[in-house]
Amino acid sequence: MKTSLSWLKEYVDVEMDASKIADALTMAGLEVETVIDRYAFLETVVVARILEIKPHKNADKLRVCTVDTGKDKLNIVCGAPNVQEGMLVPLALPGTELPGGVILEKGKIRGEVSEGMICSKKELAIGEDDGGIMVLEPHLTIGEPLNNALNLCDPVIEIDLTPNRPDCLGIIGIAREVAAFENKTVQKPETKLPNALNHIKNFTSVTIEDPDLCPRYAACLLTDIKVGPSPFWLKDRLQSVGLKPINNIVDVTNFVMMETGQPLHAFDFDNLAENRIVVKRAKNNKTFITLDEKERHLSADMLMICDGQKPVALAGVMGGLNSEIEEKTTRVLIESACFNPTSIRKTAKQLGLHSDASHRFERGVDPDGTVNAILRAAQLMAEIGGGQPVEGIIDEHPKPSSPHIITLGIPDTNRLIGTSLTKEKIESLLKSIGFITAPIDENAIAVTVPLFRVDVSKPVDLMEEVARCVGYNHIPTSFPLIPAKTGVHNPHIERRSTVKDILLGLGLTETVNYSFVHELSCDRLRLAENDPKRNRVKILNPLTEDQAVMRTSLLPGLLETARRNISRQVTSLKIFETGKIFMGKDAITQPDEIEMVTGLITGNRERMTWHADPQTVDFYDLKGILESLFESLHIENIYIKKCLSDQYPYTRPGVSATIHFENQFLGLLGEVHPEVLANYNLKQSAFIFEINLDSLLPLIPVIKSSADIPKYPAITRDITIIISKKSEAGQILKTIDNLNDKLVETVQLFDVYEGKPIPEGRRSISIRITYRSQDKTLKDKNINGIHQKITDTLLKEFDATLPV
Amino acid sequence: MDKNIDQIHKEALSDLARAIDIESIDAISTRYLGRKGIITQFLRNVSSLPVEERPLAGKKANEVKQILSQALADAEKKIKAQNLISDEGVDISLPGRKPERGSLHPVSRVMQEICNIFSRMGFDIAEGPEVETDYYNFEALNFPKDHPARDMQDTFFVSDDMILRTHTSPMQIRMMEKKKPPLRLIAPGKVYRCDSDITHTPMFHQVEGLMVDKNISFGDLKGILTVFVHQMFDDQTNLRFRPSYFPFTEPSAEVDIRCVICKGSGCRVCSDSGWLEILGSGMVHPNVFENVGYDTSKYTGFAFGTGVERIAMLKYGINDLRKFYDNDLRFLGQF
Repeated sequence: MKTSLSWLKEYVDVEMDASKIADALTMAGLEVETVIDRYAFLETVVVARILEIKPHKNADKLRVCTVDTGKDKLNIVCGAPNVQEGMLVPLALPGTELPGGVILEKGKIRGEVSEGMICSKKELAIGEDDGGIMVLEPHLTIGEPLNNALNLCDPVIEIDLTPNRPDCLGIIGIAREVAAFENKTVQKPETKLPNALNHIKNFTSVTIEDPDLCPRYAACLLTDIKVGPSPFWLKDRLQSVGLKPINNIVDVTNFVMMETGQPLHAFDFDNLAENRIVVKRAKNNKTFITLDEKERHLSADMLMICDGQKPVALAGVMGGLNSEIEEKTTRVLIESACFNPTSIRKTAKQLGLHSDASHRFERGVDPDGTVNAILRAAQLMAEIGGGQPVEGIIDEHPKPSSPHIITLGIPDTNRLIGTSLTKEKIESLLKSIGFITAPIDENAIAVTVPLFRVDVSKPVDLMEEVARCVGYNHIPTSFPLIPAKTGVHNPHIERRSTVKDILLGLGLTETVNYSFVHELSCDRLRLAENDPKRNRVKILNPLTEDQAVMRTSLLPGLLETARRNISRQVTSLKIFETGKIFMGKDAITQPDEIEMVTGLITGNRERMTWHADPQTVDFYDLKGILESLFESLHIENIYIKKCLSDQYPYTRPGVSATIHFENQFLGLLGEVHPEVLANYNLKQSAFIFEINLDSLLPLIPVIKSSADIPKYPAITRDITIIISKKSEAGQILKTIDNLNDKLVETVQLFDVYEGKPIPEGRRSISIRITYRSQDKTLKDKNINGIHQKITDTLLKEFDATLPV
Repeated sequence: MDKNIDQIHKEALSDLARAIDIESIDAISTRYLGRKGIITQFLRNVSSLPVEERPLAGKKANEVKQILSQALADAEKKIKAQNLISDEGVDISLPGRKPERGSLHPVSRVMQEICNIFSRMGFDIAEGPEVETDYYNFEALNFPKDHPARDMQDTFFVSDDMILRTHTSPMQIRMMEKKKPPLRLIAPGKVYRCDSDITHTPMFHQVEGLMVDKNISFGDLKGILTVFVHQMFDDQTNLRFRPSYFPFTEPSAEVDIRCVICKGSGCRVCSDSGWLEILGSGMVHPNVFENVGYDTSKYTGFAFGTGVERIAMLKYGINDLRKFYDNDLRFLGQF
């Protein structure tokens, strides 16, 4: 909503300047977005004197003037007939943005250089043309900007109105707020309709067939109208708030709407069949052409304004082409009505047609303002369109609204706001913004809500008004008196944060990617047709293709992040994300939201240093990160299993494994499948893990019991065995573990070797076993037995040999 | 006897003072105390002295021998100790072997900070679904169907009745349905709006807050949010509260802080207003309490919500919202 200061001053005698008004409005809840002087562009239009006029060599109607700007003498090409030497004129210099948006540039006009433009009033939008360029008073100072010289300044205040305040969608409404904090009264324009011979009822009628959607409809009629351009003052007012002047009749309806907040519509009376108005639902009418010449598809419930035969307007949204005001129009029927907000909103939404009228009707207009607005419009049309009003108006009012009367408790008000206002103070605050109050008893008042405040219907609405009038910043700041307690601990959130901290410590950086991904992301991950990850939640109105479905895996986000970074020469990444995936169900059930932690590593293990050659990461870097994570979380007994070849098609066969705890599946780790890399335009190998956090976090033990530090020294023994390459080396550790000997403290696998002299297809594995007793210093003879047993078991179970 | 023992003593010590390495100490030792050493010789020659001089000369020579032996040993120890650390040392200017460090995303960092502040004030933390029903996101929060207030939040739809939550406020309803008052909680999380430009991303983060009890007032809302702002920024940060409109609170208030960049003199960040909007808040609307079955005659409460990215931008001087979701490691690595 916009108003210029000068327009606002028509209704309230304000003294503050625009920026003070803007601040005060903002603090009253009408947030001012911008304050812009609409004459600011005149800064670069200066008072200049025409020194000399010469004919233009290439154009009869143009002349070349030498103009003095006080600083320079400029060459200006001008076509106006009224230029004379010695005259003072407004000269727009290059860079000036003229009304209409054109930015003036220095240029050549038919071969002659022109270093600016001598302007008419119309070109500067400060008046009507009067035979050419604007002639300035001779006493003005040459070189002075025109806004200073002519004292032109009119700030336009733009308010970002919240939907609860339709009363301020008319400038009088804003004036009412200004008057409240300025302690002034609002002066509304007087509305009187001159008497005429014929009564309107002899010409027309209004029938409301659907009063549930149209509680009130007023109409009035003018004859002998001459449609033409509006006078300057009217055009100027409309332009100051960004409306385009059309003709005197339409302009008046727009002017009155801006003034009062009541949208009006003007029909060409002679295009109304049977010269009457019927208000009813569209029913069988299927299409309708609106003023903007577009065909609209109607649904049966839309409210239409009809004449005796056909629809002539989409009620409260837009008029019809078939009854618009044209140059030949002589009789005008003005409509000023009240429509059901929900119905208007539905119609406007369904048709994708948002108009100034629908904007107001869907928020609610003052049912009491209908008649005033129509009288004001009729009066203006009579004045400027030369029309003759027909006596009287039609005011169909099948559902009159009576004002709300609310009982407001004084102690309740003070309790909610945190104030100690007296009853009298509260009454006076409410009165200042148009409410009527009457005492009930010492603790309560009866408040009558003015009809223009459609947002106020409950005591709490009044309490807000009181708080607003006191000024939020004058309400004392306090602290609630409440029992001491600390926040209840939320293990899920705390443990997630622990997981993040550990991963950070392991060198992974957290990323946050969008929850929505590309429609094709499942194909890019090579998921099978029946993969449960294909049950996705689709967004009906996505912004882009990339954001069309909710993710069922965090991988696409991480792969995209990797691609973006690598394309910017950041080629080594260790990243992770925690977040939800959304497993779709049916259309009416909320999806399962599962929290995952997913990581990706690619590129070099360490950055390039002077002490080591960079090496690229591999599967064991990834596995080590996870082992370290589980160890830090004190989750024991986690094991991994090699994946079946196509179980997780986005991982490379043979280089992927699933992660388990007891019988529970937790996630997987592995190398990204080369095709998936290609789908994401990645040219280097990458390794990923994904773990279900909802499953992992509960496994973190609350208490971890510690063991004593050993008192006795340990003995270590190494064994090297040669086994088939097909055997998993990890099984060796498991086998020893299964022997469950008390003396075995740790087993470490410290060397793997393939190649000569080890036979083809086999490799040697070296392990170091640490033996220790809790109650004595071990001697060789104490462990010889168990060590032999371990060796024998390994040789047997792995069909192994000892090195020669 | 050429020299008396005192003179030998003096010479030996002065030789020793000039010794700079183990070799020269060894040489001094041989020269004075060796088999043919000066002091050894002297002692051998004591027997040739007159009888009455013998005891004194012998005693003195033995004393000198002892002192010198000790001095030699000390000097040797000192030089050996020096040799241990007199290597060339290291080039301390070479870069260290630095373990790689990961960085927490700035959004997580700020979200954690917000949660910590409210935790200290006794607020519980709760999280909830991001694909939400129309009821929890709008209806129960007093946004009637077909009400223009719904235009305040551009919504992503999943079906007629299901949407991506446009704010964390549905958690107010979910938590109030579960628990009776008193209630103190915050709900951090992701929210979604169908809007994308320099100042909007389609996904962002909010932290919701709710406090319900007997006698909670608008003044209390001001108090708690002032504490929050002072802890989040610094306790010199000015705040102002101004009326606004949210269907689920009344009175509703926007909270502005003095621009942290220009301190109020006006700059691009605050569009020359000197103020930055950082919180929406208000007293819980009675309709909302009725929807969850709270007794409106007994309980009052306040709710608030804040945008995490907005605070992160102010705290870290981040000038483009889109950086948060671009995940450029050169950006993330700074945190």
